[in-house]
Order: sequence, then C-alpha cells, then structure tokens
Amino acid sequence: MRVLIVEDDQLLGDALAVGLKQRGFEPDWVQDGREAQTVMRVEPFAAIILDLGLPALTGLELLRTERARGNKVPVLILTARDAIQDRIKGLDSGADDYVVKPMDLDELAARLRALVRRSKGEPAALLRVGAVALDSAARTVARDGQTIDLQPREFALLQELMLNAGRVLSREQLEERMYRWGEEVESNAVEVHVHHLRRKLGADIVKTIRGVGYVMPRGEHA
Amino acid sequence: MPEVRQRSVRRQLLVLLLTAVSGAWIIAATASFRDARHEVAEVLDAHLAQTASLISVQRDGDEREDEDEVDTEHAPVLHRYGRRVMFQIWSNGTTLGLHSQHAPDTPLSTVRDGFSDATIGGTRWRVFSTWDARSRLLVQVAEQNYERDELATAVARNFVVPLAITLPVLGLVIWVAVGRATQSLTHVNQQVASRSADNLTPLDVADAPSEIGALVRSLNGLFERVHGLIEQERRFTADAAHELRTPLAGIRAQAQVALGATGDAERARALDGVIAGCDRATHTVGQMLTLARLAPDAVSFQPTPVELAGVLKGTISEVAPAALAKGMNIELTHEQHALVSGDAALLSILFRNVIDNAIRYSAPGTKVDVEMEVADSDVRVTVRDAGPGIAPEERANVGRRFYRAPGTQAPGTGLGLSIVQRIVDLHRGTIRLDSPASTIGLQVTIALPRVVGERA
Repeated sequence: MRVLIVEDDQLLGDALAVGLKQRGFEPDWVQDGREAQTVMRVEPFAAIILDLGLPALTGLELLRTERARGNKVPVLILTARDAIQDRIKGLDSGADDYVVKPMDLDELAARLRALVRRSKGEPAALLRVGAVALDSAARTVARDGQTIDLQPREFALLQELMLNAGRVLSREQLEERMYRWGEEVESNAVEVHVHHLRRKLGADIVKTIRGVGYVMPRGEHA
Repeated sequence: MPEVRQRSVRRQLLVLLLTAVSGAWIIAATASFRDARHEVAEVLDAHLAQTASLISVQRDGDEREDEDEVDTEHAPVLHRYGRRVMFQIWSNGTTLGLHSQHAPDTPLSTVRDGFSDATIGGTRWRVFSTWDARSRLLVQVAEQNYERDELATAVARNFVVPLAITLPVLGLVIWVAVGRATQSLTHVNQQVASRSADNLTPLDVADAPSEIGALVRSLNGLFERVHGLIEQERRFTADAAHELRTPLAGIRAQAQVALGATGDAERARALDGVIAGCDRATHTVGQMLTLARLAPDAVSFQPTPVELAGVLKGTISEVAPAALAKGMNIELTHEQHALVSGDAALLSILFRNVIDNAIRYSAPGTKVDVEMEVADSDVRVTVRDAGPGIAPEERANVGRRFYRAPGTQAPGTGLGLSIVQRIVDLHRGTIRLDSPASTIGLQVTIALPRVVGERA
C-alpha cells in the first residue's frame, strides 16, 4: 500500500519511511509542500501523512488546495500542534485523521489502514472475497480457514485486488499502487506475482482480461 | 496592602477655592474699608470746615450789631447727634465766647488754623480751627472720630456679612460640582478595577474627560504592549512545543524502527538516529535555556571592558572540532587588541552561535573566515561562510525565534539568530547580514561599541 510522507524533519521523516516500510507500507517521503503537491497529483497514493509546518507551502494550504480540486485521497495530519483549535481547523480543512507528535508507529500504521479501508467503503479490518480472507492488520491471508504464507509483494498485490474486487486493474495501475516512486520494477513483475498468487491460492483467484489487466471476481465465482 | 492615605482632588479643590475666594473678598473688603474711611474723612472734614466758616461769618455779622454784648451763652442742642459735634468761639483768641453746651472751657485744640486731632474728655475728636484776623475771632469746630469709624465699619460690614453667608453655600456648590466632575474618574477607575487579569481590551476613551484622556490612552497603549508580550510568549511556547515534539517523535519512531528491525545494519542505523535525535533535542533545550536567561527581565547586564580577540580565539577553538569533522577550515584574520564594553560570557555565546551557523550551513570542505576590524568608535567582527546564504527578503525574518528559512536542510533550532540578536541588543551593537561580493555565502557583521583606553 503506497503512502506519501510529507515531513520536513530529517530524523522523523526517515524514521517514518523506514518504520512504515517495516509495517508493510510502500512509503514515499518528500520534505516540502510544493513537492508534495506535485507528487500527489500524479501518483495514486492510498493515503498521505501530512506535517503542518512545512516550507514552501504549509500543510493546511496544500490540503485545502487539493480538496478544492476534488482530490479525495485520505489524509492524516501528523503535527506537534495539539491545541483543540488546531485539531478542529485541520479536520475541517479536509483531513481524515489528526495525530499529535510524538506518536506510536504501530498506531499510526493502524490508523492509515483504517483510513484506506474507509476510503474503499470497506470498514472491516478483515477483507473477505469469496473463500479468501485478508487481515491487513495482522498481515495474514487465509483460504477456507487455512493460513497461507505470502511474500510482502504478493500480499500487497492481493490487497489491491481485494480492495478493488470486481474491478479490472491494468498492470500499470497495479504497479503504481505497489511500488514506490522511482523504484526499479521488472517489466513482468506483476505477472510473476499473479502467477505466485494463483499457485498459492488457486488458479481461479485472479482472472486475466487479455490486453486490459487483472480482476479478482466477487464471491459467487470464487 | 497597607492603606495609603491619598490626596483627594475634591477636598484639595474645595480648600483651595474657598481660601482663594475668602482671600480675595478680605482684600476687597479691606481696600473698601480704607477707601470708605478716606472718603468719609474728606467729606466730613469739608463739612467741618464749612461749619466753622459759617459760624465765623455768622459771628462776624452778629458782632457788628451788638459789639459790647459778649455772649457766653451755650448754644442749644438741636439734634441727638448734637452731642457728637461741638464748637467754641474765642474772642481775640483768648476769651471763650459762644460755645456748645457740652464744650469744655479750654480750647479744643492748640492748633489755631486748620485740621487737628485731639483727645477731649477721654474720646477722640477731629478739630477744625479758623482764625479770622479782621474780627479777631478764633472758631474751633470739633466732631467725634467715632462717627467716622462707624461709617467706615458699616461699609466694610456690607462686604463681610454677605461673604459669611455665601461662603458655606459656595463650598457646597464646589463640593457637588467637583464631585460630579470626578464621577467620570470614578467610572474609569471602576472599569479598570472590575476587569479580570486577562482582559486586555482597551478602555473606552469616549467615557473619560479630556484631562484624563491621555492617561486612558497611555493605559490602553500599555494594555496593547502587554497583550503583545503575552501573545509573543504564547507563540513562543507553542513553537517550543513544536520544536521539542518533533525531535521526540523522531526519537520514538527511530526507536520503534530499531525494535522492528530485521537486520543489524537497519537496527544500527535506527539507533544512530535515536542518538542524533537526543543530541538535537539537547541542543534545542540548551538554546531555549540560553534565550530564557537572556529574557529582558532575567538578565542583569553589567558590562566591563572585554578583550575581544581573546573571546574570539576561545570561541573558535571551541567550535573548531565541529568544523574539522566536516573537513572545514576556520580562520581568524586581522586579529588585534581591542576592548569592547560587554560581558565576556555573553559575547562568547554570541560568536559561538554565529560561527556555529556558518559551519552548519556550509558545504563540507569550505572555509569560514572570522575577521576583526577596529574603527574609531566600534569594533567589527565579520563572519563569512560559503553556504547557501540567506535571501534578502528572508533576512528580516531570521531574527525571529524558531524561524527557519524555507528549504533549510541543515539541522538547527531557529533560535541561534534570536540569541545573537538579543546579545547584540544588550551590548548596544548592530548586526548586518549580507552576501559577500565574491561568493554566494553569508556575511554576518557585528559591530560592538569600542572602549578606548586601557582600563581592562
């Protein structure tokens, strides 16, 4: 799951990037508001962690501008400002969550997962499509109650397909959601991961729509 | 609080006005009394002279008719005031002729011509004498002085009596009028007394009379300044919280990363981050404490002559390790003996911050120049670096607490230049930021008042 970290502090930004990677996210990190604006307009992030005191363009300005443009990406404000007025202003400016520094990385990860689930209209932490169940918090996958071991990329691919069950996603769309910006992606990487998923979960788990992309069929076909 | 007995404007005005009115009245009454007395004297004297002259002429006529008849009879008293006037006619100036019934046998006055004062039978009299050489008659007319005093006193009484009656009335009027006028003062006082400590909104100037309008405006000015100070402190606290929370968040997150690390390299990297975060938080706290100690109400600044080159050398040797760690070089040029008036410890903090900034923001391998220049009235120290400099439009902002120029990558608190500015202000010096002509770096010039003479 790709997330964008907008944090000007070197130490904290680095810790967030590494810590969220440890917790199964694919984080990109930028240090000023202007750059964040550019990146979030072209990359499909599942969520954004936004600091408020940013150089070039403040977090609130960025948030308001993007919301005014119709950008619906879930935004979690992460800031040192703890005054009630600041929290209200942040949430009313279009933020989906407000966390005051210092925070716990596990809690932050859980909040991000919740934001993403809600944005997909899927409030349950346990995703279930047909016989496959995915626990995004525990990072476990089971088929018919049988736990199945997946590599992180395979887990990420399955999560994207399940969150968009019934919808066809192109190879490019899947790549964009799975890999960080500037990360080296093998041209057949998605095909390889799909192949592994079919081997571990069953051939019918992902259908290939030739020339278009991949889709995970909703319940009745699985 | 001990009860302080304060002067009341109302009481003061009352006493002052009543004293002034009474004083003016008494002066006027005295002048009138004297004037009246003088006028009465003139009129009565003229009257006396006229009477004497009438008697003299009368006698002259009578004598021609019956020359031998020497009239020694008493003249009749025709008016109740008659007792207060009397006359004598002396034939040849020696023999008493016609005279008032109550006149003595001796001459009324020794003066034979004109006005004189005499005491007859215990009372004071005014006497007019006239000598007619042709008829050889001496006429003396006398009038009791009592008459005159009584008239003048009556005039004076006309002044004093109304005063005695009106003075209490006047006092009452003044008391009420001043009371009404000071009611607006009481109102302003109530406005101030009843407000809560955090209410710093301005007082209503329209309520106040013009005399205390200036006071109310000054109070409002004070309220505004206090409000500004409180606002500044509030912002400082918020900024301080931010400045401490962010490194704390970094430390915590790095520690969690270390806990969740899968490899030794990842763990070591995160732990390095924890240490770096602690160092940064320590630096921030240190800078905040320095600034707090420099707060206007906390510092007792007692300048003494300080040998500046020594301070610079000491400071440079303190920061040199940090520069060397970045492969940088620091150089002190034009080092010379110069005394400035100041505090050596504060000056050391000042230059440590400036040179520390130069090192932080410069690329590794570059050079920092510290140059001394002694002018007539001040000593200038210029610190030059080859860093990114500060854009001209940002230079006014960098003195603000916690302010960091946009795009700043190097670690720092944004407090350094606030500290520098504060110390420069304490020393009545100046600080200038600009870019040296040759490079893109920053040049900080600090001028401190020079002490001429050798009293170090």
